[in-house]
Amino acid sequence: MLLTDISPLLSATTAGESYSDFVRSYLTVAIFGLLALGMVALLLGVGSIIRPNRPQPGKYLTYESGVDPVGEAWPQTQVRYYIFALLFVIFDVEAVFIFPWATRLDSETALVDSSGNVFEILGPYGSYGLVKMLLFIAVLALGLVYAWRKKVLRWM
Amino acid sequence: MLLAQQLTESADILEVANTGSFWNILTFVVFTPLVGALVLLAIPKANQQALKVVALGTTLVAAGLGVVILTQFDFGDASAKQLGANIGWIEVINSRYIVGIDGISLPLLMLTLLIMPLVVIYSWNHIPSPGNPKAFFALQMVLMTGMLGSFVALDLILFFVFFEVVLLPMYFLIGVWGGEQRQYASIKFFLYTLFGSALMLVAFLALYFLSDEVLTPSGNVMHSFDMTLLPALATGISAGAALWIFGGMFIGFGVKVPMFPFHTWLPDAHTQAPTVGSVILAAVLLKLGTYGFMRIAIPILPDAAKSWAPVIGILAVIGIIYGALCCLAQTDMKRLIAFSSVAHMGFTMLAISTLTDFGFNAALFGMVAHGLITGMLFFLAGSTKERYHTLEIKRLGGLLKQAPHMGWIMGLAVMASLGLPGLAGFWGEFPAILSAYDPAEGLNVALFRTLMVIAAVGTVLAAGYLLWLYQRVAFGTPSAEFENDPNIVDVTTTEWIAWTPLIVLIVVLGMVPGILFNVTNPAVGVALSAIGA
Amino acid sequence: MNILAAVGVDNPPLDWHALAPELVLVGLLAVLLLVDAFGGERSRWAMPSLTGIGLLAALIPVATLAYDGVVRSMFDGAYVVDNYALLFKALFLIAGYVVVLLSTNYIAEGDYWEGEYYQLLVASLLGMTVMASARDLISVFLALELLSIPAYMLAAWRKRDLGSEEAGMKYYLMGVFASAILLYGMSLLYGMTGSTLLVDIAGAIEGTEVPALVALAVVLVVVGFAFKVSAVPFHTWAPDTYQGAPTPVTAFLAVGSKAAGFVALMTVVLIAFPTQPRIFEPLIWALAAVTMIVGNLIALRQTNLVRMLAYSGVAQAGYILAPLAVAGVSGASAAMAVEAVSTYLVIYAAMNLGAFAVVIAVARKTGSAEIDSYGGLFSYSPVLAVCMSVFLFSLAGIPPLAGWYGKLTIFLALIEPGTLAGYILAVIVGLASVIALFYYARVAKVMFVDPAPDGDTTPIRVPMSLAAALTITVAVTLVVGVLPQVLARVTGAETFLSIGG
Repeated sequence: MLLTDISPLLSATTAGESYSDFVRSYLTVAIFGLLALGMVALLLGVGSIIRPNRPQPGKYLTYESGVDPVGEAWPQTQVRYYIFALLFVIFDVEAVFIFPWATRLDSETALVDSSGNVFEILGPYGSYGLVKMLLFIAVLALGLVYAWRKKVLRWM
Repeated sequence: MLLAQQLTESADILEVANTGSFWNILTFVVFTPLVGALVLLAIPKANQQALKVVALGTTLVAAGLGVVILTQFDFGDASAKQLGANIGWIEVINSRYIVGIDGISLPLLMLTLLIMPLVVIYSWNHIPSPGNPKAFFALQMVLMTGMLGSFVALDLILFFVFFEVVLLPMYFLIGVWGGEQRQYASIKFFLYTLFGSALMLVAFLALYFLSDEVLTPSGNVMHSFDMTLLPALATGISAGAALWIFGGMFIGFGVKVPMFPFHTWLPDAHTQAPTVGSVILAAVLLKLGTYGFMRIAIPILPDAAKSWAPVIGILAVIGIIYGALCCLAQTDMKRLIAFSSVAHMGFTMLAISTLTDFGFNAALFGMVAHGLITGMLFFLAGSTKERYHTLEIKRLGGLLKQAPHMGWIMGLAVMASLGLPGLAGFWGEFPAILSAYDPAEGLNVALFRTLMVIAAVGTVLAAGYLLWLYQRVAFGTPSAEFENDPNIVDVTTTEWIAWTPLIVLIVVLGMVPGILFNVTNPAVGVALSAIGA
Repeated sequence: MNILAAVGVDNPPLDWHALAPELVLVGLLAVLLLVDAFGGERSRWAMPSLTGIGLLAALIPVATLAYDGVVRSMFDGAYVVDNYALLFKALFLIAGYVVVLLSTNYIAEGDYWEGEYYQLLVASLLGMTVMASARDLISVFLALELLSIPAYMLAAWRKRDLGSEEAGMKYYLMGVFASAILLYGMSLLYGMTGSTLLVDIAGAIEGTEVPALVALAVVLVVVGFAFKVSAVPFHTWAPDTYQGAPTPVTAFLAVGSKAAGFVALMTVVLIAFPTQPRIFEPLIWALAAVTMIVGNLIALRQTNLVRMLAYSGVAQAGYILAPLAVAGVSGASAAMAVEAVSTYLVIYAAMNLGAFAVVIAVARKTGSAEIDSYGGLFSYSPVLAVCMSVFLFSLAGIPPLAGWYGKLTIFLALIEPGTLAGYILAVIVGLASVIALFYYARVAKVMFVDPAPDGDTTPIRVPMSLAAALTITVAVTLVVGVLPQVLARVTGAETFLSIGG
């Protein structure tokens, strides 16, 4: 069942009308992918043919600029950095939501279609929206309070 | 689930009405043991005397209610379902609390009510290792509720529930208080039965969906699980579907009977079970299977039953001969009796497979007789084991010398089991064979007459192994190892009390079989009305 | 087109009553967090009580909503509160309450972060209650992640225990893998239909021009949920996670998380894909059959009770999936499938939580979940042994314990459509139950027959909270078993799963 139904997809390159634009957009991705791969293969291939080839140990170092690497390439990072990264997310997420919200807090927004015609006008969020955003910030602040009380903010 | 008014055009729809109340005599008799089990759980473990008294009291109260039922039962109308009720239970699937008894279930109900007090009395001084009378009796009480419930239930789901309730206590009785191989035996018993009942449940549900609908008291039009209505409702089921449904029930009930080739759990279960477990198993549990055929499978699907009858008949006769031959090869007394059960239930199934009044009457008598006689034999085997600490036939001997009363009782039980006229076993076996001479219309007469002849050979084999058993155990002189064993005493008081009713009934039913046949006959006619025999 | 603008409609009216259960949980979460942050060590003992009270408080609006009986639909039908949603909200909250009871002593006596444990539990429960109402791909996914992410952490809650860390890691990796698959399927659905609303999707994919894409999307979505409900062959995380996680968490995962997965699967399949039975039916049929058989066969060989319960849980997932395999035959079969799945989930929650309660109680003495360590339990703690037998035989489906009614509804749903596929699956369910009985009975045998392995027969002291949990679960198992009508009245209600929108 599944196999027979897939066949129009496979032979669809000739019958342009039988499959949707949605699938065709995937085709674009595939073409881009193939092009990228082909480009890499081409450049590396041409390079390997025309460049001189004289291997020596120094060329396999991570840095060839004179600084000798020390230790392993997989050191453990201080766990404290992760916690700070997590805390950063709190503010980051806040910002991501607050900016678009702010543009509509006090002004109308017009919805336009692809040809530029306005088809709907949305009202401002107003005080109702303000309360909602305050609640949202309060919830995030709760997380910050928790982090503070758990002494996450102190660099120990 | 259409509403009633939408179906006014189909005027011939059956209407179900609530009748009776939950608090009827059958409910009381079924749930008395359960109450007893709860009381037992509340009694401290150390107070063994109180535990025994409560257990015995419970079974006696139930038996007393049984006497009340006997007085209330209208023997003139034994074909009707009596003393029961029909009230709502699981409304979404229209499974109802329908109970009632007729001439088919009454004898089996009474058999259960008789056996259980005897079992408790016998256990008075015989609690098998590892002891713990509290759990031992509590499980027996739950088991009793399951068995009684199965015989009074007239709704397929209610029947299924009680049918399954029987499983667990029996599993524990074998698995905890059984012999050395008890784990293997109990698991085998459990799996076989559950395998059968799983298929049986599927068959019940298929029956439910494929049969016609009824009008419930709450005004819905729904399918029904009512055993008394289903013979009329199931007429529309196609022949092919009916064959499959019957097949599912066949396996479910056939495992319980047990029919060849589903019988292999029985010898293990019997051999390993404690004495009272074996007695209950032989006297009542096996009857659930044959009862299922007579009450459910055949009346509801008579045409499928006709198609299956030759298969049942042939398997029954194979069971008779195979059981008998196995008996001849046994070295263990209990195992021998177990295999004789396979053979005896073969006679019952042969009688059922003829689908005639005569056969059904014979089967019912055979069930009761087998319950009494084989129950008795297992009691005797248990008592022999108590005294000799072995059941190996070749080490036994001279029972008549060492314990003459017990020897004579064993003689009586053995004679009854091999079908001596004048004892109950005869009326189970002889009519069963005879019924195969003239099977119901539409069945292959030549086949059934052949089966009859082979079954008759089975009785000869039965005489052979039973007499051989009796000779080796009771006659002769005691072997040297047991000659002066002080353990070997004659029948004790508790044994006398437990055994006397069985002995009396074996003799009375043998002399006056009519008291049972008169009850069963009208009901059997109703069960077979659709066969047209 | 401006996507942000497109979703912004004028302030949608909020039905506060309909949201009350979730709001109570959010409030509870905030209270727990603040108490934990400011109360210090002294407040540790209050955590379980606070959580328990909070969960019971959340049940109050569920009850008033049920009493009200109106189907409430919000956000264009993306969030619906009907009987179906309320039943599962109640199930999740009560199951969560029992898990709190199971956790109280376990967490307090071990080396655990206590405050966070209960906060995460409540957060996960919040996700579950949202899931019960979700009727939209986005709300389904949001609920799924909200209930899963805390659970990943809880699974690894036994600090410095390699088994527990493995449990958390495996659960996390398989969980996000499943989420990715699910999300891919959802994205295809959205791409094809232009809507995330399940009802709209149902209409849009009917008669679509690319059936292969629909098939792919349906398969991906079903497979994504199959991970969550641990259906074979997507079950590999379950045994290791169950064994390694703290036992109360295992109980929570096995009951709450799995039930939520089933709720989501059932909602999506029955509302969004009713027109595609020829795609989801064979898929779910095969998943159910394989899950039942493989789960039971592997469970046979387990020596650790928790691991055995994990595999038995896998097998049970197969039973619960089975009715959905014939749900597309007709409207009646879909209704019966919903009834069967919800009935079984409720019963399964009671008996499985109960079994884990006994495991926790016994481990307090023996420190082990090996089946052999249950030897002699009946002789020194008969009540626990009897309770365990009740749960195990209920799981096996022996009347008159609740499990039988669950099995019965499944059989009913399978046989009702009268299709061959349904009959065959019914027989497989029957046979699988027989296999299952073997290993359940073996545990019972060990408890009742075998001697105590170390000869230590001092009775087990069962703490109050565990005793309460056992009482609740045993009571439900027995009452539903004897009087199934009690449950059937709830699960069998007409227009049980309303489509909303």
